[in-house]
Amino acid sequence: MSTQSYKGKDAYAGVGGTPDKMAVFQECLQQFNASPVNAKKCRQLLATLLRLLYQGESFPSSESTTLFFSISKLFQHKDSSLRQLVYLAIKELSETSQDILMVTSSIMKDIQGGDLIYKPNAIRTLAKVLDSTTVSSAERLFKNAIVDKNPIVSSAALISAYHLLPQAKDVVKRFTNESLEAVQSYKQFPPTQWQLHDFYGASTANLPSTSYMYQFHALGLLHPLRNHDKMGLMKLVTSLSEGGQLKNSLALIQLIRYISEIVTNDPALLNHLYPALASFLKHKSDMVELEACKTLVGLERHLSEDQFMSIITCLQKLLSVPRISTRFAAIRLINKISMSHPEKIMVVVPELENLINDQNRSISTLAITTLLKTMGSSSAAGSSSSTASVDRLISKMTLLMDEITEEFKIVIIEAIENLTLKFPSKHQQLVSFLTDLLREDGSLTLKSAVVDALFDLIAYLDDSSAHQLILMNLCEFIEDCEYTELSVRILHLLGQQGPQTSNPSYYIRHIYNRLVLENSVVRSSAVVALSKFAIVCGGSIAANIKTLLTRCLNDVDDEVRDRAAIALGMMKRAPDAKKLLVSDGQYDLGALESKLSSYLSTNDFTIKFPIDEIPVLSAEELKSLEYTKKMNKLEAVDTTQEASPVEGPSGAVADNGAAADALKQQQYEAELFAIPEIAAFGKLSKSSSTPIYLTEKENEFVVTAVKHVFADASKLVIQYQVSNTLSNCQLEDVSIVVESDNAAYEVEFNVPVPEIGPNGQGVVYVALSAPSLDQEDAEVLAAFGNTLIYTYKEVDDGVTDDGYSDEYQIEDLEVLSGDYVTPLYNSNFTSVYDQLSVDSDSTVVTINASSLDEVVTKLKNQLSMMPLDGSDYVPSDAASHVVKLLGKDVYGGKIAAVVRLAKTGGKIAAKVEARSDTPGMAALVCNSV
Amino acid sequence: MSANISLYQVTSVLLLDNEGHRLFAKYYHDEDHASLAQQRKFEQTLFPKINKVNEDILLYDNHLVAYKQVNDVLVVVVAKINENESLIYSVCANLTEALTILLDNSLDKNTVVEKYDMVSLAIDETVDDGIIIEIDPAIIVSRVTNPPVANAVDNIKIDISERGLFNAFSFATKKIGERLQQGI
Repeated sequence: MSTQSYKGKDAYAGVGGTPDKMAVFQECLQQFNASPVNAKKCRQLLATLLRLLYQGESFPSSESTTLFFSISKLFQHKDSSLRQLVYLAIKELSETSQDILMVTSSIMKDIQGGDLIYKPNAIRTLAKVLDSTTVSSAERLFKNAIVDKNPIVSSAALISAYHLLPQAKDVVKRFTNESLEAVQSYKQFPPTQWQLHDFYGASTANLPSTSYMYQFHALGLLHPLRNHDKMGLMKLVTSLSEGGQLKNSLALIQLIRYISEIVTNDPALLNHLYPALASFLKHKSDMVELEACKTLVGLERHLSEDQFMSIITCLQKLLSVPRISTRFAAIRLINKISMSHPEKIMVVVPELENLINDQNRSISTLAITTLLKTMGSSSAAGSSSSTASVDRLISKMTLLMDEITEEFKIVIIEAIENLTLKFPSKHQQLVSFLTDLLREDGSLTLKSAVVDALFDLIAYLDDSSAHQLILMNLCEFIEDCEYTELSVRILHLLGQQGPQTSNPSYYIRHIYNRLVLENSVVRSSAVVALSKFAIVCGGSIAANIKTLLTRCLNDVDDEVRDRAAIALGMMKRAPDAKKLLVSDGQYDLGALESKLSSYLSTNDFTIKFPIDEIPVLSAEELKSLEYTKKMNKLEAVDTTQEASPVEGPSGAVADNGAAADALKQQQYEAELFAIPEIAAFGKLSKSSSTPIYLTEKENEFVVTAVKHVFADASKLVIQYQVSNTLSNCQLEDVSIVVESDNAAYEVEFNVPVPEIGPNGQGVVYVALSAPSLDQEDAEVLAAFGNTLIYTYKEVDDGVTDDGYSDEYQIEDLEVLSGDYVTPLYNSNFTSVYDQLSVDSDSTVVTINASSLDEVVTKLKNQLSMMPLDGSDYVPSDAASHVVKLLGKDVYGGKIAAVVRLAKTGGKIAAKVEARSDTPGMAALVCNSV
Repeated sequence: MSANISLYQVTSVLLLDNEGHRLFAKYYHDEDHASLAQQRKFEQTLFPKINKVNEDILLYDNHLVAYKQVNDVLVVVVAKINENESLIYSVCANLTEALTILLDNSLDKNTVVEKYDMVSLAIDETVDDGIIIEIDPAIIVSRVTNPPVANAVDNIKIDISERGLFNAFSFATKKIGERLQQGI
């Protein structure tokens, strides 16, 4: 009986199901137009209507308007509880309805003389109903409401004004004084505030007399109003941060963000504002403390050691609070610090170790990855205690491994792999940790994560003893591996790596065991692996393998027999086969795909597919591509535990950078080859990856440039992207005049843009003949002066005037060695560097920069070379640093550079030594620094 | 990482039931989940990660998600990834508390549907189009009107036996908790 009456309450549908849209619509029209209005019934109907809307239903514009109109009839009824819901319904329907202005007068009447309980709702609804032309009529109303004594009314008005900003900035601007007054005033709730609910009982002594939320809203509104007045904003921030006037935590958070913005724009102001920020580190509310920490971490490069330590101390405190969200935020920040300055968080290691067992998985994951980073830092600094800390952590994790879920284990595996890659010297303990994991029970995903990690370590660790250790462990693993996929992958790897090791026969024995014991899929890949040993090693090994393979000719499975026969056939022609097997390069798959699809779209198959045009990537280049991808991926994993694209902003940028680079290059290529003159230059060797801004980003015309080098044809094409940010003018016949300070560059032709509309964009190409490095004394470095030339026409309501020609000076563009070089990865920098002997050059320069870190990043980008051996990481207390950079030039030669940096006073001295395969390249790099 | 300077701090407020269906969903200025299909997908993929996992906060799909599960209702507040974690969690926890008070200690699916007017008003008094209006639960509650009392018949208070099992259970937990705290 009880369930029956319970369900009867909701007349439209059972619990959980959505009420019928049309039924609700009809009922609404009927009830709202009835006379007299049944308030209780109507409120329930409105609630059902809102439920429809909030669950994702929507009404077409005509029905919505009808509803809107009938709801407006409810204004006749005086009941305030009904009125409150009416406002909510009007707010939600205002987006889809027409003629919403008709309720304006009713709302305004309520604001002026209505009941206090729904006045704030009325104000907030008014903002939804008004448009840019009618705002001014409500100006007086808003001003009065902002300065109202009731904090809720004031907040509602401030929020509404904020919503109206995009539509009516000039009207809202006039509220500046009222908002300022609101920030500084003290508004108190009326005594009637708590009447509605008997939950609090008769005593209101424990209830707040105000929440100061209006301070937060007023402060939020003041920022966009003061945005163009830096001094004004500065004054506001200073006065508010000193007086202790702001009582609301949210307002303080907002204030901290403004300070952060001011200091980011002008770091010199930090000294002035730091005391205020530091005082927030000891605030009673943890969200304020957290915000101060966040801001200070963002400004970290401008802070002194002591100042930085105070952040750490604050975070340390936050790590041990009971609130999960705060702990989570604190560890997230610490993790972020650990990416750039792991040595600074050594003091919180004990806390971090406790957090490994935290009940929240995100927190424990972050704790572990952070700890691994600190370990890395101590090993990089060469401290003797590092080994102990590695051991301790590993033992702790081994303990932990038993009690955590699989997903989480994978995170740890990835973290370990990351660490090993970054700090190869630590590989021994870490590899043994991984191989131990391999021996324990686990699902396929877990095992493949471990195998993946080990594969990567083989690819990127340059240490033959490590290779052997890993390979042996893998051999052992396949002895009793239940997963066919993994066995096959490992056998493939053994076939590739095994022959190069000192004891190939060890691996052959293991592979042969597979041949005897496993299923047909594994057997056939074992056959292939064995044949590789035979072909690469030759000699007695080949003879032995021949015997083994001959036995396989009698295998029960077709595939195994076939493969064995092929392998035996290939062994007869070993030299050719060797070339096939031990190939050094691979086609650029992206380019191959786009070429093939364009070949298919031409539909002319009489011409042979031009496979020669596809660039072949050498094994080293492939590795460097994969390495970058890997590093970015691992970095991203560090920021969070989710496999989906969840990452901090830094991770997102890096990830996009790597993945988009290859795509962008292809896109540029396609765009360039659409122009016949440029297509005639032949193969595009290299495009600079990021567009360079030649104007301020806020200018009326924004110009960016991308340089494209055609090495074979000795041409340089500059692609200027011109954007017109003005909405009332049109540019015609846009071209760029390029003047070079280097006579070796000559402008060949210019591809102008006929027209760039208001807020439009266009691309201008300028082709130049470039000097080739093959020539003697070639001067490659150059700077170009650029001038934008165009006919300027004003557009007014679609009518353009005759216009006049004008020019616009934009910044110079430099050609540097980076335009001729792509980053390259190699795990053994020293040997590569020693082998390069064709050309070498060195130079000493001083660079204006405050930190070594900054210089390293700058060098990396400017030279477009890859820092190796973890040399892009600079310990923050170091006074000197060595960066090892490797790249490949457009002619296919390698180029390596060792840059020794030392701090001297406020400047940084750099000694650059460069060596290259291509003559002239080394000098070029030195001159580019 | 530049912090969000604007007042638009919350990107969505959701109430989900114990099967991941939405009881309430409102997205504010959220470009990533502009269409209904995107929103549904977000909710459905998020749900298994937060259902019966009382971890309060997580990063998901480039968003910061704070949530609270009470009986069979999940209260979720979503914000941008670099928003202040403690702030967003406070909004979520305090909204949950306000709803609990408004629904007479029985925040569950049936009651939410039954008193949908109170629920939607409470959320509207907490977040307006992405701007946080108020985080103190007592003040949020004080802003929400009770339904009008039209007929005397409807005014009869429902006996405790008529409330669902959840209500009785959560009522009991609360009372026991209070007693324990008083040391009785």
